[in-house]
Amino acid sequence: MMNAQQPPSAVTLPRAEAPPAGRRRWWSASTAAKIALVPAAVITAVCFYAFVGWTVVISMTRSRLLPVYNFVGLDQYRRLFANERWWTAMENLAIHGTLFIVGCTLLGYVLALLLDRATRGESFFRTVFMLPLSMSFIVTGTIWQWLLNPTLGIQDAVRDLGWTEFVFNWIVRPDRAIYTLAIAGVWQQVGLCMALFLAGLRGIDPNIWKATRVDGIPTWRVYTDIITPMLRPVFFSVFVLLSAMVLKSFDLVVALTGGGPGFSSDLPARFVVDHILNRQELGLGAAGAFMMLCTIAAVISPYLYVELRSPRKEA
Amino acid sequence: MRALKTSANLVVTLLLGVSSVAQAQTAEVLHWWTSGGESAALDKVRAAYAAKGGTWKDTPVAGGSNARAAVVNRMIGGKPPTAFMFSIGKQLDELAEQGLVGDVNDAATAGKWDAVLPPLIAKASKYDGKYIAAPVNIHGENWMFYNAAALKKAKVEVPKTWPELITAAKTLKAAGITPIALGGEPWQERILFNSVLLGVGGRDHYSKVYGQLDEAAMKSDTMLEVFKTVAALREFVDEGSPGRKWNIAANMVMKGSAAFYFMGDWAKGELVAAGIEPGTTVGCALAPAKDKGYIMTVDAFAFAKVKDKASLDAQKLMANVIMDPAVQIAFNKRKGSIPVRTDVTDPSFDVCAKLAQETLKDPKTQLASSGLFGLPSAVSGAIDDAISNYWNNRSMTPEQGRALFIKTIAGAK
Repeated sequence: MMNAQQPPSAVTLPRAEAPPAGRRRWWSASTAAKIALVPAAVITAVCFYAFVGWTVVISMTRSRLLPVYNFVGLDQYRRLFANERWWTAMENLAIHGTLFIVGCTLLGYVLALLLDRATRGESFFRTVFMLPLSMSFIVTGTIWQWLLNPTLGIQDAVRDLGWTEFVFNWIVRPDRAIYTLAIAGVWQQVGLCMALFLAGLRGIDPNIWKATRVDGIPTWRVYTDIITPMLRPVFFSVFVLLSAMVLKSFDLVVALTGGGPGFSSDLPARFVVDHILNRQELGLGAAGAFMMLCTIAAVISPYLYVELRSPRKEA
Repeated sequence: MRALKTSANLVVTLLLGVSSVAQAQTAEVLHWWTSGGESAALDKVRAAYAAKGGTWKDTPVAGGSNARAAVVNRMIGGKPPTAFMFSIGKQLDELAEQGLVGDVNDAATAGKWDAVLPPLIAKASKYDGKYIAAPVNIHGENWMFYNAAALKKAKVEVPKTWPELITAAKTLKAAGITPIALGGEPWQERILFNSVLLGVGGRDHYSKVYGQLDEAAMKSDTMLEVFKTVAALREFVDEGSPGRKWNIAANMVMKGSAAFYFMGDWAKGELVAAGIEPGTTVGCALAPAKDKGYIMTVDAFAFAKVKDKASLDAQKLMANVIMDPAVQIAFNKRKGSIPVRTDVTDPSFDVCAKLAQETLKDPKTQLASSGLFGLPSAVSGAIDDAISNYWNNRSMTPEQGRALFIKTIAGAK
């Protein structure tokens, strides 16, 4: 808090009495930082909060093709909640979200641990696991669409090998199609999680390992009781990254199943885009978008609250 | 008589052409015809427009919904294209309600559009009694394409009714041929459903359901029969159908791995591209039906509200070119559709196009598609949802399907 430019005698003075305070304060480092933040703050206010506000306003109108401001109260929300397709989409979001986040995190961590122990071939395996990440969700979706198609992909190949009764037709089954989304999603993103965990593991102080060896603790106990808790910030980053991906999963579902069969693998993002752009249901789409925001807030904010507060407490 | 009309048209357009020499009539045209066949078809309009002294500024946007969104955005932004492709119907009416669309009623009156257009299309092209769009073509949605060799191999005739089709499908399945090729996207499933709706219910029932969204008709036993027939068709489609693109389904019928294909006449474009003359190895007929009906979809150009004389003239010239009989023939031969003018025929049209024109001579056969033409897109989209959900859930009974159909439409209105 001490200002280096002040004469030593001024140090004992209370801050308010510091002579020509105005000008000096104006140029202080924190003011400069504040000024530097103004553009970002304005952009956030306009591009995020203003548009969220606008979406909420639109969701209370009967807008169809064009935004019109004839307010109908919560009518669009009533229509939305009566819409079977919307609930299917929400349910799918929960299924896909859980499987995708848990799958990516667990598998990514296991892969990272294995790589961490491996003595050779690490860079080879790292490249292999990271490769799917270089593809867009559209490409991933298309590849998996072929692989999962019962008449051309895995099922057909296995049948050709002789197992003529083999069945793997999840993508064409309304009750299973949503799981194919998680398979393709995990396949693509697991490399990213692995890389993050590996970086975390490499960041662990080697002295900890030495100490555990001195104490004679078995390796698995070191991982479960010491290393994993230390990687808590990495788990947090992975969780935030993956949940953002789940909520905006739009391209994957479009390329993989197109929301089908029927609308059995639809997701809220696709529902909203479809209704705003193709169906001229601007109001209903806006209501859906706002419900998505509420869902995210409900799921993420308690977690954010706990995670962002705890380091400060410790300090 | 036709020659007289044509020459009158020619005089009108020539006069317009002459007057346009003074000021270049530049029309910016926004459209979504970007595929090979579509682009070749549009070239014919472009060339005709240039020949009459206009300058065509091309703005292609791939994908119908993208292009429609682009048009709306540019209108709101105050810089609309002079002319744009759009579907006539409720969606265009909404733009007109907001005062964003201009009219070409002068050209329409001079060209006697009322006399040459099918009444249903004339009505849909107007807003407040004035023409706000120039229709280019009529596509039919209730076509049945069939592989002649496959039918011959299984010794079945081309069916005339849906029960006959189901019997034929059983025979085909036993012979190891997929009876029905189907792309499993909602709009494709809707095309199959609507063919059954028309075929089992008849055209009066069809127009009650889609024309007036008549609830009594939807609740009727006829409707239940429709849903029963659709349910019976589920087992004749192969496992790989969900998510399949329409051109791949078309290919199945060309190769003979599937026997029947219910699709709009744009599928002829795929046939022609594969070197097959429609009506030969792949035959065409209207989908089996109680009475003759033709489910039409219409491509049209609409005109933005403009004030300056040059743009207004450009729009007028554009309207005249689109409705020019020679342009209509040249365009539609490449597009796979038929001219929107009922007074234009051409001996070089394929047998399917001739059948379409023959059918449409009777105004009673003229039905609107449940797609963008006729219904608000919110309702037509909801109908697609209901149909697709029913089709893909084998556990859903016809009664449940009918109830879902009614409920979904009520929610979207």
